[in-house]
Amino acid sequence: MEASNPEQYPDTHHDTYSKTLFGFWLYLMTDFILFGSLFAIWAVLRNNTFGGPGSQDLFSLSWNLFQTFLLMFASFTGGVGGAYAHRNEKNRCLSWFLITAALGIGFLIMQTMEFARLIEAGHTWKGSGFLSAFFTLVGTFWAHIIFAVLFTFIIIWPVWRGDRDIGLRNLTRLTCLRQFWQFLFVVWIFIFTIVYLLGAK
Amino acid sequence: MIDRHHGWNKSFKPLFIGLTISLILTMAAYHIVTRHHLPPTLLMWTLLTLAFGQVVFQFIFYFHMGLEEKPTWGTYSLYFVIAILIIIIGGSIWIMSNLKYNTMPGG
Repeated sequence: MEASNPEQYPDTHHDTYSKTLFGFWLYLMTDFILFGSLFAIWAVLRNNTFGGPGSQDLFSLSWNLFQTFLLMFASFTGGVGGAYAHRNEKNRCLSWFLITAALGIGFLIMQTMEFARLIEAGHTWKGSGFLSAFFTLVGTFWAHIIFAVLFTFIIIWPVWRGDRDIGLRNLTRLTCLRQFWQFLFVVWIFIFTIVYLLGAK
Repeated sequence: MIDRHHGWNKSFKPLFIGLTISLILTMAAYHIVTRHHLPPTLLMWTLLTLAFGQVVFQFIFYFHMGLEEKPTWGTYSLYFVIAILIIIIGGSIWIMSNLKYNTMPGG
């Protein structure tokens, strides 16, 4: 931990930075509650298969493991992009956030393919309580990733167009963006463990 | 909230530590499920412990929890949300697993 130095660029002691980040943190906390209630639904309904297939029959663990790696590295590259933002190295920051977005798009493609495979086989959310809980929980997460990818492009666009200095306003936004990707990976750890790994047994 | 920690915000070291821990714990959980045959209850608690462990390290190395300037509102709000989650998830499972017993006559 370095001692704080008022001459360091940029001055993150400025009030708006910490207030915005705290507000964004509170949003992430409420999103945890949203996912928590969906996990509660999953825990209650996971065995109500209505004679249809259960979670043991539907998932491919190696596929989901690969998705885990994509999000794990998206969380990491987002962190690296955020660190370069704090170092005021604009081009490196933009490149790392572009990698993050690419990994997120990769995850989206894989998750969409999994949904398509299930729906094609006739296992839609109408099939049973188990399938409804699965599509609600994982579908909500899928929608979050879509917004995360959009959020990434919306936030790095003005940085790319802007000055050589990233500036406090953009630094605040990029830090929120970094935290959002890291938050999504934390939620995915639970989805991977509880829905996929525990569901496979 | 992570104002004073220019060091943590700029450094790559915590990111590498967090990534390595995540990789190890994820691979461990995957191998336990695919290669070993643990009894269901033991398997559940092992996997949940690995997941919660991974999340704790994520909170420290990626979100810099507990390293903020005082008062640590971010950490307090996290504790509050954990309490809410325990009530929602634990309460739902508890109520729904007793549903039949409580609603069936003579059950």
